[in-house]
Amino acid sequence: MTRSLNGQVLFAFALLALNTIYASQIFQMERPFASGEPGPAFLPMLLCGFVYIAMIRILLTEWRAEPAARPAVMQSDVIPKLQLVGPVGAIALIALFIIGFFYAGYVVAASLYTFTIAFFFNHEQNADWKRALVLGVVTSVVITSFGWLFFVKLFDLYLPMWEF
Amino acid sequence: MIAELANGFLSLAHPVTFLYLVGGFLLGLIFGAIPGLTATLAIALLLPFTFGMAVSDALVMVAGIYMAGIYSGSITGITLNIPGAPSGAITTIEGNALMKKGEGMQALGMSALSSSIGGLIGTVVLITLAQPISSIALLFQTPDKFSLVLLAVVTVTIVSSGSLLKATTAMAIGLMISTVGMDPMAPVGRFDFGSYHLIEGVNLLPAVIGLFAVCEMIAQSGMSAKLGQVERLANVQKPRRKDFIPHRERIREVGLFNYIKSSVIGVVIGMLPGGGASMASFIAYAEAKRSAKKPEKFGNGSYEGLAASESSNNAMCGGAVIPLLTMGIPGDAVTAIIFGVLLIHGLVPGPALLGENFGVIAPMFAALFVASIFVFLSVLAFGPLYLRLSQINRGFLYAFIGLISMVGVYASSFSIFQMWMALAIGVLAFLMRTFGYPVVPALMGIILGPFFEEFLRRSLIVSKGDPTIFLQSPASLVLLILTGIFIWLLRIRPARQAKRQEGGVPS
Repeated sequence: MTRSLNGQVLFAFALLALNTIYASQIFQMERPFASGEPGPAFLPMLLCGFVYIAMIRILLTEWRAEPAARPAVMQSDVIPKLQLVGPVGAIALIALFIIGFFYAGYVVAASLYTFTIAFFFNHEQNADWKRALVLGVVTSVVITSFGWLFFVKLFDLYLPMWEF
Repeated sequence: MIAELANGFLSLAHPVTFLYLVGGFLLGLIFGAIPGLTATLAIALLLPFTFGMAVSDALVMVAGIYMAGIYSGSITGITLNIPGAPSGAITTIEGNALMKKGEGMQALGMSALSSSIGGLIGTVVLITLAQPISSIALLFQTPDKFSLVLLAVVTVTIVSSGSLLKATTAMAIGLMISTVGMDPMAPVGRFDFGSYHLIEGVNLLPAVIGLFAVCEMIAQSGMSAKLGQVERLANVQKPRRKDFIPHRERIREVGLFNYIKSSVIGVVIGMLPGGGASMASFIAYAEAKRSAKKPEKFGNGSYEGLAASESSNNAMCGGAVIPLLTMGIPGDAVTAIIFGVLLIHGLVPGPALLGENFGVIAPMFAALFVASIFVFLSVLAFGPLYLRLSQINRGFLYAFIGLISMVGVYASSFSIFQMWMALAIGVLAFLMRTFGYPVVPALMGIILGPFFEEFLRRSLIVSKGDPTIFLQSPASLVLLILTGIFIWLLRIRPARQAKRQEGGVPS
């Protein structure tokens, strides 16, 4: 990736976009001190202005900086491009867990979620899918049961169950 | 009063009351140590159960949870780099760095010892100076409170390592998140985009879970287990209980004055409404760094920093109870729930409470004192167990954290939306961490944001928009000068020195 469009720059642009979405709401509020008081828009306006200035400075610094050598990342022997695949997979898995938790209930969602996490980490560590499978199942049963006993039995909290 | 206090201590000798104390302490230890679960949540969950308990027993149990919950936030912070509670965030910086150096046992021991000392000092102050000190704290006007929050906000930002601009941006992002929802001073929804979910704002629990637990899980999923093995090589040593007792030279390195100073900071901040354990630990840490003989060790595993943070956040427990009991003003979320416990039993916190019901409250004072001692004993009893948290199977560990923290978010609010919020904040925190934006200032922005905004706006309303109001009150002026001194000592002077050294080096 070029210096003009590296990760730092892309993230700064993403923050700029989020800041603009935030700013769009400020204009729906009363102007600060319009009625003699700072009002709800006062602090958000200051923060928004600061973030614009900060992002522009960060972008300029990034574009002016000498290209730095990319730090060496310890690669996985088992999963190629782990530093990308892992986080994207984890985010997707948590999202699927939330959806599953709502529709399929605690037991199903928690079992599959904990099994997948345990399988992933164990497989990446040992490159042995059979061992990872066994550890995944054991982990899933133990943690799902613990969660059930802890939240439902000990504290009598409600967790969703099969609510299609 | 002394006789009633003695009776309070004696009441702990009753087996049932003592069991409530131990039970509360263990509950606080578990809730504080598990990321996403907090002492606040533990006490909140306990609230319905207190109906059937004697008020003294309920207060004893709450005291046990409070002291243990504030301390144990540091355990997973040190061992796993995930603070169990926001108050453990600063301890995490130093404690986990020590853990990676192979000094995890000493870090855990120092954390427990400092927490014990802080807890004891806080309780002694509570017992002896409750009324006079709370009346001083109540003299703080709104501009003074704003300057105090500003001091905390600025301090957190400047003590972050790396780019100051990125740290300030992270703080601003945290403050922006705190503005989502109902306006603190007017019945107006802000930044809700028409969603009734967003009207209630971003709760603290999903924010903490997102910033620490979800972010850590995402980050770990992108790291090879080989890296973890390299980090753990330094820790291959069979833990013995005596290894958790801090060495004399480490205690000397921290210094008695540092323990006392940090504890006093914790007590004072605890007394101020809106203070809380996080602010106490941040300010004590910054002060310890300012006065340290070796400030360069801060951020890389400093016992001074760790001890300052831990002494102050446990000392805060005693401090926070002072305005609650004497004036009916809770200092933080936990004391707000203690307020509820008292009300459930027909006791109204306020000036008359200690005068008329000291005998009922005294066991709670005694429980805070004894629980402080339990903190150090707990590391001797469970220390090896804490340490093994870093050696347990990664799959098991992250499956546990991933499930308990997300279900914990749901259990605290019964809202699927808050689970999505935790994920969204977790993704943002992961990206921030990846690109060098520190996460802790963002958390402080979220925690302190409502107070920051309310005190700022109230002050400006009183002064009709004149910002010099912050210079007119002596307390506010002192706090602003202190903020300036902190900026000078922790950022400007080191930057100038570094520049001068760079200029002196021949090319």
